[in-house]
Amino acid sequence: MMSLVLAQIETPDIAWSAVLPHLILGVGALLLLMVWSLVGRHLPDWIPSAVAIAVATGSAISAVPLWNRVTDAERGPFGAVAGAVGIDGFSVFLTIVIAASAALSCLLAIAYLKREDLLGAEYPVLILLSAAGGVTMATANDLMVLFIGLEILSIAMYILAAFHSRRVQSQEAGMKYFVLGAFSSAFFLYGIALTYGATGSTNLVDIKTYLATNVLIEDGLLLAGFALLLVGLAFKVSAVPFHSWTPDVYEGAPTPVVAFMASGVKAAGFAALLRIFVTTFGAYADDWQPIIYALAIATLILGAVMAVVQTDVKRMLAYSSISHAGFMLVGVQAASGKGTASVLFYLATYSVLVIGTFGVISVVSGRGDGATAVDDFKGLGAASPWLAFTFTIFLLAQAGVPLTTGFFAKFQAISAAVDGHSWTLAVIAMITAAIAAYLYLRIVMTMWMSDGEHEPVKVPLTTLVVLGIALVFTLGFGVWPEPIVDWANEALPALVRG
Amino acid sequence: MSLILASSDAVTFPVAPALVLLPLLGAVAIALLPKRHFEQAKNLALVVSTVVGAITLWVLFEFDQADAGFQFVSEQSWIDSLGISWLAGIDGISLFLVVLSGLLFPLAIVAVDPGHDHKAYYAWLLVLEAGCLGVFVALDLFMFFVFFEIVLVPMYFLIGKWGHANREYAATKFFLYTMFGSALMLVGIVSLVSLHASETGGDLTFNLVTIAETQALGTNAARFIFLTFALAFAVKVPMFPLHTWLPDAHTEAPTAGSVILAGVMLKLGTYGFIRFGLYLFPEASVWFAPVMITLGVIGIIYGAVVATMQKDLKRLVAYSSVAHLGFIIIGTFALNVQGIEGGILQMVNHGISTGALFLLVGWIYERRHTRQIAELGGLQKSAPIMAAVFTLVMLSSIGLPGLNGFVGEFLILLGTFTAHRWWAVVATSGVILAALYLLWAYQRVFHGPAEGENAEMEDLKWSEGFIMIPFIVAIFFMGIYPKPVIERMEPAVERLVAHIETNVEGFTEPVAKQGAGNGFGDLEVESSEPGAEGEKHE
Amino acid sequence: MVELVWLIPAFPLLGFLVLLVAGRKLGEPGAGIFATLMMGGSFLSAVAVFAGLVDRNESDRFYELTLFEWIPSGDFSVDVGFLADPLAITMTLFITGIATLIHLYSIGYMHGDANFSKFFLYLNLFAFSMLMLVLGNNLLLTFLGWEGVGTCSYLLISFWFTDEANASAGKKAFVTNRVGDFGFMIAMFLAFFTFGSINYGEMLSGAPGMAAGTATAITLLLFLGAAGKSAQFPLYLWLPDAMAGPTPVSALIHAATMVTSGIYLLTRVNPIIAQANGWAPDIIMWVGLFTALFAASIAVAQKDIKKVLAFSTVSQLGFMFVAVGSGVYVAAIFHMITHAFFKALLFLGAGSVIHGMHDEQDMRRYGALHKVMPVTAFTFIIGWLAIAGVPPFSGFWSKDEILLGAYNENKVAWVLLLVAAVMTAFYMSRLVFMTFFGPARWDAEIDGEVPEHEIHPHESPKTMLLPLVVLAGLAAAGGAMNLPFTHSLKRLEIWLEPSLFGNEQHINVAAGTKWGLAIIAVVGALSGVAGAAWIYLKHKAPASLVEKPIMEAGWGYDTAVSNFMGGSGRKAFDATTRFDETIIDGVVNGAGSVVKESGTLLAKLQTGYVRSSAVGIAGGAVALVVYFLARTSF
Repeated sequence: MMSLVLAQIETPDIAWSAVLPHLILGVGALLLLMVWSLVGRHLPDWIPSAVAIAVATGSAISAVPLWNRVTDAERGPFGAVAGAVGIDGFSVFLTIVIAASAALSCLLAIAYLKREDLLGAEYPVLILLSAAGGVTMATANDLMVLFIGLEILSIAMYILAAFHSRRVQSQEAGMKYFVLGAFSSAFFLYGIALTYGATGSTNLVDIKTYLATNVLIEDGLLLAGFALLLVGLAFKVSAVPFHSWTPDVYEGAPTPVVAFMASGVKAAGFAALLRIFVTTFGAYADDWQPIIYALAIATLILGAVMAVVQTDVKRMLAYSSISHAGFMLVGVQAASGKGTASVLFYLATYSVLVIGTFGVISVVSGRGDGATAVDDFKGLGAASPWLAFTFTIFLLAQAGVPLTTGFFAKFQAISAAVDGHSWTLAVIAMITAAIAAYLYLRIVMTMWMSDGEHEPVKVPLTTLVVLGIALVFTLGFGVWPEPIVDWANEALPALVRG
Repeated sequence: MSLILASSDAVTFPVAPALVLLPLLGAVAIALLPKRHFEQAKNLALVVSTVVGAITLWVLFEFDQADAGFQFVSEQSWIDSLGISWLAGIDGISLFLVVLSGLLFPLAIVAVDPGHDHKAYYAWLLVLEAGCLGVFVALDLFMFFVFFEIVLVPMYFLIGKWGHANREYAATKFFLYTMFGSALMLVGIVSLVSLHASETGGDLTFNLVTIAETQALGTNAARFIFLTFALAFAVKVPMFPLHTWLPDAHTEAPTAGSVILAGVMLKLGTYGFIRFGLYLFPEASVWFAPVMITLGVIGIIYGAVVATMQKDLKRLVAYSSVAHLGFIIIGTFALNVQGIEGGILQMVNHGISTGALFLLVGWIYERRHTRQIAELGGLQKSAPIMAAVFTLVMLSSIGLPGLNGFVGEFLILLGTFTAHRWWAVVATSGVILAALYLLWAYQRVFHGPAEGENAEMEDLKWSEGFIMIPFIVAIFFMGIYPKPVIERMEPAVERLVAHIETNVEGFTEPVAKQGAGNGFGDLEVESSEPGAEGEKHE
Repeated sequence: MVELVWLIPAFPLLGFLVLLVAGRKLGEPGAGIFATLMMGGSFLSAVAVFAGLVDRNESDRFYELTLFEWIPSGDFSVDVGFLADPLAITMTLFITGIATLIHLYSIGYMHGDANFSKFFLYLNLFAFSMLMLVLGNNLLLTFLGWEGVGTCSYLLISFWFTDEANASAGKKAFVTNRVGDFGFMIAMFLAFFTFGSINYGEMLSGAPGMAAGTATAITLLLFLGAAGKSAQFPLYLWLPDAMAGPTPVSALIHAATMVTSGIYLLTRVNPIIAQANGWAPDIIMWVGLFTALFAASIAVAQKDIKKVLAFSTVSQLGFMFVAVGSGVYVAAIFHMITHAFFKALLFLGAGSVIHGMHDEQDMRRYGALHKVMPVTAFTFIIGWLAIAGVPPFSGFWSKDEILLGAYNENKVAWVLLLVAAVMTAFYMSRLVFMTFFGPARWDAEIDGEVPEHEIHPHESPKTMLLPLVVLAGLAAAGGAMNLPFTHSLKRLEIWLEPSLFGNEQHINVAAGTKWGLAIIAVVGALSGVAGAAWIYLKHKAPASLVEKPIMEAGWGYDTAVSNFMGGSGRKAFDATTRFDETIIDGVVNGAGSVVKESGTLLAKLQTGYVRSSAVGIAGGAVALVVYFLARTSF
C-alpha cells in the first residue's frame, strides 16, 4: 500500500551534481549538528569550526567543475530539479563567493568564539545553514525557491546576530534584525504572490517567456509585484531607506557574524536582485531602472554622509557597507552585462576585503567584543605596526585607493554606469566615495598619528591566516585584477529550464 | 602613432619600469629592515634614490634630442579585456621632469632627518618617488590615474606623521581635496575611453597616444571630459581658487615633504595639463584657454599679494608657488612654442628654486624652532653664508636675468604676449610683486639688528653647503645656458603645437611677425609711412 | 682690436669670481687692489676697442661679436653677444675709467670695514653688469645688465644691513626699479612681436616703416623703464634714499653710471623714437624738464650734503632727458659724460669730507674746511664750477648744448630749463659755501644735539685724493671733446653720428642767437652763484628766505607715496589675505562642515528603535508601490 502510494508520487529526476554545493553545505551542517550533539563533549571544541571550514571549502570546490561545465561552449548553462534551480556562470560564481565567505568567517570565528567562550557546534552550523540559504538564493530559478533560500539564510542570521548571548547589544541586534527581517520578508512574499497573479507562474523561466510572448494590457499587478520584491531585497542589501537596521545590527552582532553579513548575505541579496530584475524583468528595465537609480543615489549619499559622523568603528563600517551597496546598485542600475559583471566583481572583492576588515576589528575589540570606538585604535600603529598596516590597507582599499581591489571595483561600477550613459550617477558616486574617504582616513589617522598608548595586540594564528589571505587577495588582485575581471565577465546569468 | 612610439628599439634597458620599481622595492626593503637597524634606512633610501637619479641622468644623455616622439618606450599588457596596459615612455616634455624628480629625491632624503620612525619615513619617501616618476612616464590613461592617485598616500603619511603642529588637519585636507579633484577625472577617463571605443567601433583602449591621435570624440563631449581633467589638475597645481590646501600642506609638512611637494608634486598638475589636457583635447584647450589664462593671471597677482602679508615663512613660500604656477598655466595655454617651453622650464626652475628655499627655511627652523618672520631678524650677521645662498635662491625665484627663474618666466610672458597681449601685461606686473614679498621677507629675516638667539644662530654646515651646490649649479646653468635644455624639449613641443593646429580648424599657433631688418647692414634711414600695426619694412 | 670687446666685461667678471672664491684670503687691501687692477684692465681693453673702432671708416663702425646662443625657443632666439659701436664704446670708456678711479678711492674709504673684500666683490659685479648693459647687442642682454646693476645697487645700498634704514632703502630701490622694468619687459615683448627679434641690429634696421602706434608704445614703455633706472619723476623716490649706501657707491652707481643707463637705452633705440608720434618725445622732454626743476627746488633746502648731491643728480638727469626728448642725443650723451666726471668728483669729494668729519653729513656742522682739507676743497670747487655751468668748465659746454636743443624745440621749455640751471648754480654754491667757507661749526649744537665727541677734520689719504685730482682734471677740461665753434671741433657729435642714424635733431638757430643764449646761460649761472654768496657768505639775507620746509620735505611727495603704500595699499593686501582665509578657504572648510552637519541631522532619524526603522521600511515600500503604480498602463 505504502509502496503503491510512493509509486504514485512522481519525483523529479535530480542532477545531483548540479546541487552538490547546496547539499554539501546543508547536509554537512545537519550531520555536524547531530554528530556533535552525540559525541561532542569528548572532543576539543574547535573541531566543529574546523569541520565547517572544510565543508564550506568543499562546497566551493565542488562548484568548480560546474563552472567548467557552464562556461564550456558546447554544454553551457542548464537547469536542474525540474527547473527550480538554474546552474549558470552567475550562480556558480556567487556560490563560490558565498561558500568562501562562510569558510573565512568560520576561520575568523574560531579565535573569537574561544575568547568569548562560545566555542561549539552552534555557530559553525548556523553559518553553514545560512550559506546554504545564500547559495539557494543564488541558484534559484523559481521565486518560491528563492524565498525559501532567503528564509533559511535569514533565520540563521537572526540567531547568529544574537549569538553573543551575554552581550545585551547582541541580543538587541538579533531582535531587531529578526523583527525587521520578518517584516520585509512579508513584503517579498506578497510581491511573489502579485507576480504570480500577473504572470501565472513563480518560475522565472516561465515568467520571462510569458512576458516575452504576451503583452500585458494592464501591468499594475506586475509592477506592484516589482515594488514589493524590491523592498524585500533592498532590505537584505541594506539599501536606503531600508537600511536602518544595519548600523545597530553591525554594532551589536558578533564581529565574525557581521563579517559574513557584509559579505555572504550581501552577495545572496544582490544575486536575487540581479536575477529577478536584470535577468527576468530585463524587458521592463525602463520601469525599474529609475527607481534603482534613485535608491543608488540615496544609498551612496546617506551611507557616506552618515559614516562621517560616527564614533564607533563598527557603525562606521556599517555605513560604509551601505555606501558600497550603493556602488553595487550603480552596477545593477546599468541593467547590462557589464553592469552585472561589475557587481559580481564588486561582491567577490568586497567580501574578502570586508572579512579582513572585521577580522582586524575582532582582534582589536578585545574580550567582550566591546572596544570598537575609534579611540580604541589610538596608538595601534606604534603598538602593533603590522596589524595596523594591514588594517590601513583594508581601509584605503575601501576608500578606493588604486592598486587595491577596492579601487578597481569602483572603477568597474563607474565604467558600467558610463557605458549606460548615466554620467550624473557616476559623478555622484565618485563624489560620495571622496566623502566616505574621510572616515577611513579618520581611522588611519587615529592609528598612526594621534598619540595614545595601546598595548600590543596578540593576533591568533587562525585570524592571522584570514588577514593574510585577505591582504594578499586585496593587494594581489588590486595590482592584477584581470582574472577576476574575466571570470565576472564570463559569469553571466542565463535562464534555462532543461 | 606607431611613429610616435617607434623609437623604443634604440634602448634595451627597461628604463621606465626601473624608475618605478626600484624605489618601490627599496621601500619594501626598508620596511622589512629589522627595527634595531633603523639607522640603515636612511642609507638604503639614499642609495636607492641615488641609483634612480643616476638612471634619470643616463636617460638625459641617451635621449635623442632630434626625436619628437616618445623614447625609452616600454609596453606590457596589464588587463587585456579592458584595453589597459603598462605603457610608458619619455619625450622632451617629460624628460626634464623625470630628471628633476630623480635628482630632487636623494637631496631631500639626505638633507633632513625625520627625527622619529625613520624606517616608515624613508619607505614612504621612496613610494612617493615611484608614484611621481610613474606619472611622468605613464602613457596609458589608467596607469596615469593609478600613479596620479597613489602619490596621495605617501604624502598623506609624510605630512600627517612627521609634520608640525596642525599636521592632521593639513594631511586630511590635502588628501580629500586632491581626491575630490581626481574623483571626477576618473569618470572623465572612463567616459573618454568608452566614447572613443564606441566612436571608432574598436576595442576599449586606454592608450593615450591612440586616443589623442584619433580625436574621435565630439566637440561637446571632449569639452566636458576636458573639464573633469582640468578640475583634477587645477586642484593639484593648484590654481586659484582651488589652492587653499597648499599653504596648509606646505606649512605642516616636514622639510623634505615640502621640498618634494613643491618641487615635484605640484608639477603633476601642470604636466597633466600639457600631456593630457592639450594633447587629448586640443579643441577644448583652445576653447577654454581664455578661462585658464584668466585664472592663471589671477593666481599670479593674488598669490603674490597674499604671500606678501604672510607671517609664516613657509606659508609665504607656499603662496609664492601659487604665483609661480600661475605663470606655468598661462604659458601652457598660450598654446605656442615659447609659452609651453617656458612653462616646462618654469616647472623645472620652480622645482629648483622653491626646493632650495624650503630646504633653507627648514634649516632655519631646525636652528631657531620657529618659522615666524617676526621672531627672526638680522640672521645675515650670524649666518652670512646661509644669507648669501638665500639671496641667490631668492633672486632666482624673483626671476633675475642670468639665473634660472628668469628664462622660463620670460618665455612664458613672451609667448602669452603674442597670444593674449593684455593678459601678459597684467601678468608681467607680477614680477614687481615677486620682488616685493621676497625682498621684504628677506629684509625682516636677515637684515636689521640681531638679538637673542638670532645673534648666535649657527651658519650653514659643510654638509648643508654640499647639498646646496647642485641647486646653485642648476640655478646658474639654467640661467646662463638653457639652450641644451630647450633644444631637447623643442621637437616634442613643436609636435604638440602642430597636433593642436591640425585638430582644431581655425587655430594657428600665435607667433610674432617675422622678417625684421637684417642687422646693421641696411641702416640707411628712409621716410616711413605709418601702416598697419607692426607692418614691416622689407 | 675690436675683437677684444669681450675682454671689457671679462675683467670685472674674473674679478668677481676670484673675489668670490678668495676674497677673504686676499683681505685688505689685497682685495681692493685686485679689483682695481681688474677695472684698469677693463678700461685698457675699452681703449683698445675704441682705437680699433676709430681705425675703421664710419660706415662699418658696428662690430658684433656673438659668444653663444642664449635662449632659443621656436622662432625666438637671442644671443649672448656684444655690439661695439661708437655709442657703446663711448659709454664703456667713461664707465670703466670712472669705475677704476672709484675702486681706487674705495680702498681708502672702506679701510677697516669688516666686509672689505665683499664690497669690492659687489663693485666688480656691478661693473660687469653695467658693461653687459651697454655692450649687449640685444634688448634682453641689456635687460640682464639692467637687472644686474639694480641688484648690485640693492646689495650695496643695504651693505651696512644691520641698520634698518639701509635695508629698507635697498629694498625700495629694487622694487621701485621693478616698476620701470615692467615697462622694459613689455617693450621687449612688443618689440619681438613687431620685429620678430630683439637684436638691436634687426630691430633698428626694421624700425623705419614700422607703425607709428607701435613705435610710440615701445618708446613710452622703454621710457618708463628709463624713468625707473634714471630716477625721473615719479619714480625718482629711491635715489635720495639710496644715499644710505657707502659714498663711493653713490658716486659710481647713483651718480656716474647706473642712473644714466636710461638715457643710454633711449639713445640706443633712437630710430624707434624717430618713428613714434611727435608727442612721445615731448612727454620725455616735459617729464625730464619737470624733474629737473622739481629736484633742483628740493636740493636747495637739503641739510645733508649727500642729499643735496642726490637731488642734484636727479635734476641733472632731467636735463639729459630734456635733451633726448628734444632729439639732441649728442648733447644728452655729452652731458652724461661731463656729469659723470663732475658728479663723481663731487660725491667723492663729499665722501672725503664725510670721512674727514667722522661720518658727519649735516652741512650745518661744516664750514671753513678748505683750511684743513685743501686738496678736497680745491678739486671740489672745480666740480662745483663745472656743474654750475661756468665756462670754460665741462658742465658749461654740455649744459649749453641741452639749452640750445630745448630752445630749438620749445622756447618755454628753454626758459624753464634755464631757471633749473640757475637753481643748480645756486644750491651747489650754497653747498660749497656752507662746507668749505665761513666759520667752522664743527661742534655746533643743532636741533639741541651736539656730537658726542669733538670732531677734528683731517685731509683724506692719497688713494682717495688721487682720483679726486684726476676727476677734477676731467671735469675742468672735459668740454673739449665737443666744442661748438666749428664742426670739426664737435668731435663727439661726429663720432656718435653712425649710432644715431641721422636722427639727431638739426639745430636751426642763427649763430648770433647761439652766442646770445650762451651769454644768458652764463649770466644765469653767475647770478645763481652770487645769490648763494649773498645769503650764505655775506649773510645779507636769512637762509629761511629760500630754504622752505616744504622744499626740504621734497614737496611731501615721498611721504604721500609711503603713506599710500603703508596705508590703503597695505589695507588692500590685508583685505585680500583675509578674503583668502575666510571666503576661499572658508568655502572649503564649510563644505566639510556641511557634510558633518547634515550627517548629524540624519543621525537624529537613526533612533535605533525598531518601530522607527519599520516606519522607514514601510514608507519606502509605499513610495515604491506608488511609483510603480504611477507607471502602469491602465
